Amino acid sequence: MTEERFISQVREQQEPLRRFLLALCNGDDALADDLAQDALVRAYVASGSFLGLSKFSTWLFRIAYNCYIDYCRKNKPEKTGVEEAQTLPAQETSDASFRYQQLYQALEKLPEKEKAAIALFYFEELSIKEISAILNIPQGTIKYHLSTGRQHLKQHLQTWNS
Amino acid sequence: MEQLEDFLRNNKPVVKDDPTFLLKTRQRMEAVEGIKAEVDRQRSHGCKALIVALIVGLAVGSAATAIAYLYPVDANSVGEGLLDSVRAFLTTWKQYLIYIVAVLAITLGLVLTRSSKNPIRL
Repeated sequence: MTEERFISQVREQQEPLRRFLLALCNGDDALADDLAQDALVRAYVASGSFLGLSKFSTWLFRIAYNCYIDYCRKNKPEKTGVEEAQTLPAQETSDASFRYQQLYQALEKLPEKEKAAIALFYFEELSIKEISAILNIPQGTIKYHLSTGRQHLKQHLQTWNS
Repeated sequence: MEQLEDFLRNNKPVVKDDPTFLLKTRQRMEAVEGIKAEVDRQRSHGCKALIVALIVGLAVGSAATAIAYLYPVDANSVGEGLLDSVRAFLTTWKQYLIYIVAVLAITLGLVLTRSSKNPIRL
C-alpha cells in the first residue's frame, strides 16, 4: 500500500477511529488523539502485511484497540478525562457537556472489553461480527459483553441521576 | 433498556475538529520512515560485512586446506621458521580445516539465500 493510498484511507477513517478512542479514554481527547496517531503509525509500518482479508477499518480499529490496551498496561489511570471534565468552569458547563460527563463517568467504570464493545456497537454502529474481529473474541462473548455492559451502564447512570 | 440505547446512540462522543491531526500523523509517519531507512541501511551494512568476511574466510580456508593436502610436511622434521610452523600446523589439523571450510560455505550459502529474498542495497 502506497503512502498516498494509506493517507486517503486514513482520511476517511480518522473521525470514527478518534471517536472510538475518545470513548475508551473516557473523554480525554489529547490522549485519544495521541493513541490514534500511534495506531496510525503502527498501521502504516505494518501496511505491507495488510492482505485485504478484512475491511481496512476493521484492521485499523483492531490496531487502535491494541494500542489502547498497551497504554493501559503501561499506565495506571491517575487523572482521567472525567476528572478533568468535572473541573470545567461553571460557564463552560452546558446540558450537552453534562450528559457527556455522565456518559464518560459511567463508561470509565466499565471493564475494558465491555467499554470497547459498547463503543463499537452504539457509537460506531458496527455489527457483532466486525466487533468480534476487532476485539478478537467470539461473537457470543461480544453479545455477553454488550448485555452486561448495558446493565452496568444503567446502574451507573441511575446512581449518578439519583 | 431502550432508553439507555437511545441515550448512547444520541450521545456519541464528539471529536474536536483538528485540522492538524493528519499533518501531525504524517510527520510521525515520516519520522518512522526515516528510522526504518536507517535500520535497513545498518542491516544492509552488517550483512555486507558478514558476506565479505565469509568469502575471505572461505578463500583463506580453501587455500590453507589445498596447501595442507598438496604439500604435506612431516611435523617432526620441519624447521623453526614461521612458515614451516604454519605448514606443520596445517598438516596436523588438515581434516578439521575441511569441516571449517564446509561450515563457512554453508553459512555463506544461507546468508546469500536470505539476502536474495530481502535484497541488500549494495
